[in-house]
Order: sequence, then structure tokens, then C-alpha cells
Amino acid sequence: MRDQDRALSLAEHVLRAAAGADQAQVNVTVSDASYSRFARNYVIQNLGSVSTQITLTYYVGQKAGSISTDDTSPASIAHLVASAREIALRVPPDHGFVSLPKPAPIAPAARSYYDATADATPDDRVEKLLPLFARMKSAQLSSAGFTTTQINTTAVANSLGVRAAFTGTMSGLQLKAMAELTSGYAEYYGPDYGRLDAAAVAERAATKATVSREPATFAPGNVTVLLEPSAFAAALKALTQAMGADSVLEDKDSWMAGRIGRRLFSPNVTLRDDWSHPLFANPPFNVNDGAPTKKLTLIDRGVVEHYVSSTYSANKYHVPNTGHPNFPANGVIEPGMKSRAELLASIEHGVLISRTWYERVVDPRQASITGITRDGVYLIENGKLTRALKNFRYFVSMLDAFKDIEFSNAQVLTEPDSDTGYSSVLPDAKIAKYHLAAQTSFA
Amino acid sequence: MQHAAAAARILDTAGLAGAQYADVQFWTLRQEDVWVRNGDVRNASEGSSAGYGVRALVDGSWGFFGSDRFDDAAFDTAAARATANAKSGTKVGDRIPAVQPTAKIVAHYETPMTRDPASVGLGERARFLLAAESAGHVAKNVISGYAFMTIYTTTKEFHSTTGSAITQVLRQAGAGCGVSAIGRDQDVQSRGGPGDFGLYQGGGYEVVERANLHARMPEYGREAVILADAPRLPSGVRDVILDGSVLNLQMHESIGHALELDRALGWEANFSGVSWATPDQVGKLRYGSDLLNVYADNALPLGLATVGYDDEGVKPARVPLVEGGILRAFLSSRDTAEQTNLPQTASLRAQDWSCVPIVRMTNIVLAPHEGTLDSIVADTKDGLYVAGIRSWSIDDHRLNFQFGPQIGYEIKNGKRGRIFKQPTYTGISPRFWGSMDRVGGPEDFVVWGTPNCGKGEPEQAGRTTHACSVARFRGVTVGVKTDA
Repeated sequence: MRDQDRALSLAEHVLRAAAGADQAQVNVTVSDASYSRFARNYVIQNLGSVSTQITLTYYVGQKAGSISTDDTSPASIAHLVASAREIALRVPPDHGFVSLPKPAPIAPAARSYYDATADATPDDRVEKLLPLFARMKSAQLSSAGFTTTQINTTAVANSLGVRAAFTGTMSGLQLKAMAELTSGYAEYYGPDYGRLDAAAVAERAATKATVSREPATFAPGNVTVLLEPSAFAAALKALTQAMGADSVLEDKDSWMAGRIGRRLFSPNVTLRDDWSHPLFANPPFNVNDGAPTKKLTLIDRGVVEHYVSSTYSANKYHVPNTGHPNFPANGVIEPGMKSRAELLASIEHGVLISRTWYERVVDPRQASITGITRDGVYLIENGKLTRALKNFRYFVSMLDAFKDIEFSNAQVLTEPDSDTGYSSVLPDAKIAKYHLAAQTSFA
Repeated sequence: MQHAAAAARILDTAGLAGAQYADVQFWTLRQEDVWVRNGDVRNASEGSSAGYGVRALVDGSWGFFGSDRFDDAAFDTAAARATANAKSGTKVGDRIPAVQPTAKIVAHYETPMTRDPASVGLGERARFLLAAESAGHVAKNVISGYAFMTIYTTTKEFHSTTGSAITQVLRQAGAGCGVSAIGRDQDVQSRGGPGDFGLYQGGGYEVVERANLHARMPEYGREAVILADAPRLPSGVRDVILDGSVLNLQMHESIGHALELDRALGWEANFSGVSWATPDQVGKLRYGSDLLNVYADNALPLGLATVGYDDEGVKPARVPLVEGGILRAFLSSRDTAEQTNLPQTASLRAQDWSCVPIVRMTNIVLAPHEGTLDSIVADTKDGLYVAGIRSWSIDDHRLNFQFGPQIGYEIKNGKRGRIFKQPTYTGISPRFWGSMDRVGGPEDFVVWGTPNCGKGEPEQAGRTTHACSVARFRGVTVGVKTDA
């Protein structure tokens, strides 16, 4: 792949200029991303950008200086090295730093580059949206959202010999369909823009938005919920964001601390970290330091098995290096046996939640979060969606919620998390007991 | 003008490609960070970025393209891709056309500062933070501490086909600190600040010094130790005094965002959400009590969003948003103001050169009234004073919210008493602001800000200010039950 070769070549060039360091690492990212944003059934912003960023981390013993720039000129590179060295000489040491990673075999990446994404034009994106707008208008709905196509490259080189580079494409469509008082949400994410069926996404959103004309009230309390993957991703994050060695071993407030090896969850819960899953276009290494990423089973049929670690945390805490940032970057929840329709049909009385936001951790030891539903909450009666509901605030301990949980057999790639930038591969999740605490005055 | 020749080439190319209007803004961004934790410097870094963003307008449709490549071929590509993006939007009928700018502005602006950050070396910055962080370890059960500072320097050079040429040098800084302590039952509680996540203001190194970390850390340490073994706040209804560290975020979430005009028009419905307030309610909607006077002022001294001109070349003016509790205006851009016949507030901003400018919350101010925090506490018979931020959330209409401050002090007969951990309060925006019966005076007024407000697709981080004193609210639901 030419992009990743160019990025790695640039990283090596900078690394040679930093030859005086005790250790040094160069990270290069290159992005070409385009978005077509829409609202009220027309395109409000068509935008794109190209960018290159170089980051040099220069070590003098345990002292480190880090500088980043997007200027690749020789003068800039010379300034980059001089400035990083100056910082490293002036700051106190980081006693937790032991060493950058040494070279280790990195598995070949799975297929990650699709021409339909890389070559998409502004007209291609807008033409994808035209049937969506038509569906919205036919149902007297207003739309808001975006479609995107991206080419992303990352490369890492260090003075100990690590060389890692990766290029992947990504595409997506998010759609919120709005009636006067109700709404419905649907999305698509995947490396291949050619697989995006915008009309199907529009149909899913429109169908939910028109379940009923007015949102109904619903008594708060503990209820069975069906979380669509977008909503389930936010719930799962309550667990995954505290599954790094730093959280478990240093902060001590992770829900995992002291619980490795214990059966905490339903046997239905198996969480793996697998960069090679075909729905991902993820690199087989830690983009932060270039160490190879291990495939792990983090939760095995309900038993808590592993946390993840980076080179820094592995060295500091004398634990194996799993090749991750401080969280699972490639989370995959194993699917269940039932289709989504069967899972829905199994709920006599419950609530379907499409999407949530403003999730906040209330108690990290219990993985308790609060948040608010948005863009469509629906009453399930006898296995069918019967009414739109007003939004809820929820309070849930995921340690409790994952005790009685069941998954659909349909996995999808979810929206990249706004904090970490990483997606997960998730099915729909039926949770027997979810505490909906208070209802808002609208849908 | 450093980039005049490149700008001319880009604007000409866009015109030849079919743009009826175009502008280009060249940016250089520099961010210097030092972050210490538990006695170690965990991060000492400097980031810089240079690039340009091109906007092109074709038949009322905007296109944008950002690039960090500085050669003639890249200039031509950026102009062509911006114009192609604009043209593709015209394929959709039934759209509201954007306004074609006509103004010509030639100007220069610089953020004033009293201490140039360049005069403070990285070693001195690191030692400053290490000493502050160390001061928070006041007891054995303090398990971690941190302190940080960030310095931002941004230059902008704006050119348009109407002949505008605006240069700006914007300076901002921030600093903060905090500690965590573990209790007898292994409960971990944290205290930190100042403000919600630090003091962020426009200016130079004096902002870091103004944050006063060395004096705050021992107090944060003592409070964290107490919190780790403190009782939870019981559920109930109380009068609540919000410290500025909480009030400014409350303003951010339930006033600032609600009054972004693009959101009110539905443009942000998919991500940032919409608003319970709409333009047709201007002059009629009661947003809060008579004491609620909020204005936008993007020329506010110390404001994190203070500029000479926004990212489409509009000069800031002080615009009342809420007067005597009544909605008066929204935060706007040229397009959104035109569509609604409301005033422009110079609030169209981009995170950087790679991002399309969008309507942002910029500087908003809750006008101070009278009384100090202590005098308002003394005037409260049975209430709660809360400070610091632990968690918060609000719905996508900006109506129903819940805030989780770090610490709650019970107030009995005008005096602070017991400390509660994990205090929470909840409310509905107009009812909550309608219950505000005291707004503190200038003695406790602080220009608070946040550097990372998320909005837009792709998400952009915006720097916003929400200046305020302290305030009291009557009959607030507190101590939300989480396990009912």
C-alpha cells in the first residue's frame, strides 16, 4: 500500500534525524476524509480535508520530550528533533518509563482497503443520499446526519527497530429521521462504501420514527430492554474503559481490580479483542507504540479473564504486553443464537433503545453509569414495537446488567467512540433488568 | 500578509471552478502541554500544525476543504475540491440557500497578555506542577494526584473574494490539578479544579499563575480525604448554591448549547441535538427568573473564545441572549442570523484549518448581581452548597439534566456543616433557571472556560467561556436515587 509505505518512510527519515536520542519513537498519521452533512432533507455542508501529522518522542534516560507537527520540510524536521531533545533534557524523569518496545513479529493485516471508499467523490456521496431524502419526504419526515468516506494511514518506527504501518478505509452513514414528535435512528459503518445501502438505512429509521404519532409516557423502574448495537456500545464502554492495566493496577478503581478469574456475568458474555475480525479495518499493532496486538479473550463465557496493556504499562507493572492502548481497541462481543426479530419477539413487555448519550460513570467499581436515551425509544408489547416513548435517564450497573443478558446473532460495526476513536463489533443486546430512572417530556 | 500570494491563487482557482464566493483561512496552531502525576512528569509535549481551510459557495451551497500541503498543486487541489463539494450540494432541491458574504474587512487583532509563556522554560513549568501536585498528598490515603498546564497560540490569516484580509494572533492558557483518596470501605473519591476541569482563559502564562494550583491542592487533598469516608447525600428537595465551578458548566449545557442557532434550526439534530428554545419564541419565552441576564460577548477580556473576527470575518458585538429571564437572541452565524432575522454574534468557528466553521457557543456571560458566596450561604437556612464536577448529562433538547458535583456541604442556619460525597441534583432547564433567586456579585465572578466542547460531524473541539459568579436555586431535587 503506497500510503503506508510513504508514512513509514517519513517516520524512518525523522528517526534518523533523532539518532542522538537514547531511544526515540516516531508516529505518522495521514488522513483523507470527506463528509456530506445533511439536515432538513438537504445537504448543509460538504467538506473534506487531507492531513499529515508527525510525532517524535525523544528519550534521554527516563526523560521524554514529545513534539508533533504536520510540516514535513527539512527545516521543520530539524526543529522537531531539536525541540523534542530540549524538552527531554529539561523535564524531570518519568520513573514509570522502562523502554520502548523491541521488534516483534506483527501479523499481516486483514483486508482493510476498499476502492469504493477511497475513490468516492462528493457527487457519489450526495447521490447515495438522494433515495434517503426521497424516503424521508414520502413519510413526511425530516432528516439529519451525515455520510463519510475516509482513508486513514498510521505508521510507527522506533530506534530499537520497530517498524509498523497500516492503511485502511472507513465509511459510514448516520441518519436521524424526525417526525413532529417522534424520531428514529439508524446507521451503517464499514470499510467498504460499496456495501452501504442508504435506502435500507432510511427504511429502518423511518419505520421506527413512524411507530406512533405521539410519544407515550412509561412508568420508570426496572424493565427488560433491547439495546440496538449503537446503544449497547455505550453500555459496554462502562466496562471496557476500565480494562487497561493502568486502571486495574494503578488507579485501583476499575471494576476488574481483584476480580480476575471470577465469574461475574452471564455465560452468554464472551468479549474478545480481535483486530482481524472482518468487520474491522484495524491495524494488527498498537498504534501508539508499534507493539503487536495480541488477540485476547477478555471475558470468557462470563468469567473475567484479561486486562490489556501497552508497552509502557507492561514494563511498569511487570505484566505481559498485549499491544493495546489503555483499553480494548478491537472489542467483539460474540453473537447469540437468535435473530434480532426473535430476540424482540421474546420480550413480552419492555423497551427498545436505539441510541444514548452523555454516559457518565457514577461508580467505577460497580461499572455504574447514568445517561440519557435519544433518537427513538419504543415500547415493546408481546414482541412488537407498539408505541414511541419519551426519553429516559437510566442508572445501571453493568456488573448487574451483564448477569442476565442475551445477544442477537447479527453483529455490526458500531460508530467510533468519540473519546477513543475505536469501534466495536456488536450484536443487539437483550438485558433483563435495566433501571430507567426518570422520563423526559419529549421523544 | 504571509500567505497573500497563496490566497490569491486559491481564490482565483475557486472562482474559475465556479465558486461565486470563496474565502481561505491560513492557520498555525501551537499547543504546549505538561502533565504530572504522582510525582512524575507523564507528558511534556508540544504540538504544532499549519494548514488552510477553503470555503466555496456555489448557488447557495457551501463546500469546504482543508489541507496542510503548501505547494501550488495542493492549493489548486484544495480550491477545486472545495468547489466540487459546493457543487455537489446543489444536486438536492428544496434547500435553503446560504447567504453570499459581501463585506470587505481589513484588520489585525492580538490577544493581550501580561506574561509571555516563552519566558517560562519547560523545566520551570514541570517543577511548578510537580510542587503543586505534591502539595495535594496530605494523607496516606491520597492515592493519586495530578497537575497540568496547557498553552495555546494560534495565528490566522483570512482572505476572501470580497477583498477581506484579516490577521489574528490568539493566545489562551489553562491549568488544573486534583487528587483522589481511598476510604475505609475502598471507596475512591476525587477533588479537583479550579472550575470544572481547570481554569482556561484568554491570555498568556498569567492564566496559569492565576489558577493558583499550589494553594488549592492541599485543600483538594483534605476534602478528598473527607469525601472518601463521607455519607452520600440523601434524596430530597433543597435550596442549592452552585459554586462557579458548577454554575459555569450548568450555563454551558443548559443555556449556551440551547441557544446555538444552528441547533435550534435542526442542523445539529443528529449529533449535538436540538433545542427546546426556538427562534419564533424570541421576546416571548421565559427562560428563567428576573435575575437571569445572559449575554454573548466575543470581545470579552479573558474570554477563551475572544477574537477580533470570527472564522467568516464577522466582528463581535455584545448581544443580550436572555434579559430579565426573557429570551432575546441566539448565538449565530451570518447564514443562521439571516434566516431568522436575529443578530449576528460572530460565533462561526472551526477547531482548526481542517474543519468547516460551524456555529459554536463562544463567550457567554451570566451578569453578576449582588452578594458574596459567604453572604449567600449566610442567607440560606437549610440548603446545600456544591462545588467541583464529577459527572453530568443532559438530553438532546437541553431540557432535562443531572449534575454530579464532587462535594456537597450541608447548610444549616447560614453555616456550612456536614460534607456529602457524590451529591447530585437534577432539573428541567426553564424551571431550574426560574428558581434562581440569588446571583452573586462581582466579588466571586470568574471568566471560566472549557477547551474541548464537542460539536459537529466530524466532531470538533471548541473553546468556550461561561463567565459567572455563584447562584442559589430554590427547591431543587437532590440526591437522585440510582437503585430504586
